[in-house]
Amino acid sequence: MELNHRRLNRVDLIEVIGRVDAASAPQLKQLIESLFADGRYRIVLDLSRLEYISSPGLRVLIEARKKARDWKITDLEGGDIRIANLPPRIKEVFDLTGFSSLFEIYGDTVEAVGSF
Amino acid sequence: MESITLTADLDALAKISAFITAAAERCGLDERATWQVQLAVDEAVTNVIQHAYDPDQPGDLTLSWQCHDHRFIVTVRDHGRQFDPSTVPVPDITSPLEERQVGGLGIYLITRLMDEVHFEFSPQGGNLLTMVKYLPHDQPAEANEVVVIAINDRIDALTAPRVSKLVNERISNGARQVVLDLSNVSFLSSSGLRALLLIRKELMTLGGELRLAALQPQVYEVFTITGFTQVFNIHPSVSEARAAFSQRR
Repeated sequence: MELNHRRLNRVDLIEVIGRVDAASAPQLKQLIESLFADGRYRIVLDLSRLEYISSPGLRVLIEARKKARDWKITDLEGGDIRIANLPPRIKEVFDLTGFSSLFEIYGDTVEAVGSF
Repeated sequence: MESITLTADLDALAKISAFITAAAERCGLDERATWQVQLAVDEAVTNVIQHAYDPDQPGDLTLSWQCHDHRFIVTVRDHGRQFDPSTVPVPDITSPLEERQVGGLGIYLITRLMDEVHFEFSPQGGNLLTMVKYLPHDQPAEANEVVVIAINDRIDALTAPRVSKLVNERISNGARQVVLDLSNVSFLSSSGLRALLLIRKELMTLGGELRLAALQPQVYEVFTITGFTQVFNIHPSVSEARAAFSQRR
């Protein structure tokens, strides 16, 4: 797994590349938590080059989204983890596990970043 | 059946993934089914790594596979603490984020990705997880037929690679019930015998079978001298070899 992190104005963009499994999921978790520690709760995960994800990776995503959503500026504005670019195989995992309805998923990063 | 035994730690994941992906492809699973098997096995192995042993004292896990009767069968065995799948709650995948439980997805995914899943435990054997994926119905044309391949040369160190290549091409096209017509083979060397043994092993791994037919006396003698008449199915003629397949079914 490889992670490319870019800090934008209001949003942090993380590109997740390769395989997220039990061995690599802790690294993703660590990066997301370091952003939370900086007070950065608006995160877009670009999954266009994600090849593989198993349950430890899914667990990181769901825990992170719960934490991000707990951070609120107003009732309408706050933190979130949003997804951009879901490859077909990963979409299949999202569909099987109900993650498709658990996350806001966008067609590209511009759209996902703009949604905040 | 082929197996791999590894220490149950996170380093095992990548090796097992490569091992099972190659196996699924050899068994004839398509790209999507191969991916599903890969994910199910990864979840099973992750489960063993995280729950069967103490993290600072990981034990072994053994992964085995075989192709049998249009099914790809994978087993994962460990000798760690007993795993009882009924204690793992089935996640409610429709619940909203706030109520959504974070665990239990691994076992759930295994049951969704595979066609059959069985758990067993015994004090001697440890935990045994068996997962089965059915092969797609549109089998390659040759899979259900008896394929007769005539070898028209000596089989020695020089020609054995050609013979292996010829037969392996048919196996990759789906041939599983194979008869080698040896009526025109006047000589078989030890290299040739080794090539035939490898073909036999490959077919057995894939759930198929090799039969040899119409051996000339001096070739048959190679089998009797080496004792390999016990190992190979040898028939006087191609038609009798064919008939032996149909009797079995």
